[in-house]
Formats: sequence, structure tokens, C-alpha cells
Amino acid sequence: MEPEASRADLDTGVDTGADTGVDLAEKRARALVGRVERRSLGVVRAGAAAEFARAAGEDAPRLVDPDHPEFVVHPMYVVSLLRGAPGADDAEFRPDGMYRDEVPGTDGLDVSLMAGGQDVRWSCAVRVGDDIEVRRTLVSVERKGRGAGFILLTVEKTYGTPERGVLVEVTERFIVR
Amino acid sequence: MRSAPDAIRLLRFGAVTRNAHRIHYDAEFARSEGLDGPVVMAQLHGCLFHRAAAEFAGGDPAAVRAVGWLNRAPACAGDRLTVTGTVREVGPDEIVLDLEERRGDGTVCCRGHAVVARRP
Repeated sequence: MEPEASRADLDTGVDTGADTGVDLAEKRARALVGRVERRSLGVVRAGAAAEFARAAGEDAPRLVDPDHPEFVVHPMYVVSLLRGAPGADDAEFRPDGMYRDEVPGTDGLDVSLMAGGQDVRWSCAVRVGDDIEVRRTLVSVERKGRGAGFILLTVEKTYGTPERGVLVEVTERFIVR
Repeated sequence: MRSAPDAIRLLRFGAVTRNAHRIHYDAEFARSEGLDGPVVMAQLHGCLFHRAAAEFAGGDPAAVRAVGWLNRAPACAGDRLTVTGTVREVGPDEIVLDLEERRGDGTVCCRGHAVVARRP
């Protein structure tokens, strides 16, 4: 059983000096559980949504042609955006190219990041002109595997607008090793 | 549903989603991470699942109410990916599909599900 002091370290994210990057990420992440973060993805533009659809390999006119009378924003568009326009400053990137704040608790640590999967649930369609805000909450931190193993982070996200409320809910998992 | 996302598609998809993670375009870096090469983004796997579900629903992208997947193995640029599905449940107004994405060598890359609205 872990001594009480170690338990406290895990809760507060304190670096004890003998931790691996994964250990530190776990401590930091546990200290972030429940914290709500917000980010604006900006206003959804028809041209950008159509470009996304084309890049994803779609060819249906209603997804790739903004002038089509039945044009719709690809449902995966906003949930696939890591940032809105105009992008990010150089200082926002990790050496591996990922955003420093994309995977909670990993900023500045020499750890490998992988996506674990997602669950996406639409309650309403995202429309052109929606000014999308994403809210993210880290909900669980699990240590997995043998030896040093890895940590599995689960975050809950909502995408919506002040006027229309929540449009999409996402559960996303990250692997840190 | 079949797709073979190549390096160009990964670059385009990464650009429009502002995903600069080097595992998706930097072969040397990807190998240093234990991968065989640049890998397909999770969100692009999700798009393939979504497309498969929409095709099942008659081509209506808005008919897909939910899609979910777990990444089981990476898919590299150029891999031929096939998404197949089976009907798990038919409800009064929606259908639940079990979905699977495999590489050409049979390796399962993703397993998941989708919920689609029943057509009137």
C-alpha cells in the first residue's frame, strides 16, 4: 500500500524527483480532474467545412459544395478541429508537434501521446455561422499495463453556442506512455 | 466502405484540422515512436466510420446520431482500410451498428459503433 505522503503527492501533482515522465503526467492529470476548460473554435464557415469534407475524402456535393442547395456542415468537422482560426503561436506546440495543452498534464514532459478513441453524440447539427465554444473536462486517469505501463486519460467535451446550447458531446481517450 | 488515406490526404486533413502532431507526417519521428511510419489521425478514422454509417442510412450524413471507436492498431499512410458493419439492434426510430475497420492484412485498426436514424 502507498504511504500517505505518496497519496498526497498524487493528488497535488508534486514532483518527488524520482518520477518518470509518465508518473509526472499521472500526478498532474489527477490534479486536473474535474477542472472545466473552455476554448473558442470561432465561427463555422461554409468554405472551411467543405474543405474539411474534401480533405476527409468525401465527394457528396452536399458536403463539399457550399453552394449546393442542401449543403450541410460535415458532422465530424468541429469535433476534429484542434484549434480554430487563425491557428496557434509557436510557443503553444510541444516538440512532437502536439499542442502543449491538448493532452492534460503532459506539457513539457518527454512522453509519447496517442489517441485512444472517441464517442461522438450529436443532439443538433452544427450550422454555418455557429460560433462554437468547446468545453473540456478531464474525468478520469487510469494507470494501465505492466511495468511502467501507460496512463489512459478520458475527457468529456461539449461543443455548442450560447444561443443554441450544446450541439455535440464527445468522450475522448488519450494514451500517455 | 473502402479508403486508402495516403500521405497527401494525411497532410490535407492535418492542415484543415490544425493537427501538427509529427506522427502523422514525419516518418523518422513516427518510427522513433515505435510506429511503422506516419499514421492516420484518430479523427480521420472517425470520419470513415461516420461515412460508413451515413452510407448505411442512404447517404444522409445528418442521419448519424452517434459514432464511436476505439483505436486498436495504427494505420499507416497508404494502408487500404475497409470498414464493415453489422446491425446490432433495430429500435423504433434508430438502428445501432457495430463497426470495424481493418487494414489489408486483416489487422483490426478500430472497433466501434454508430447509431443512425431509421428512414421514414
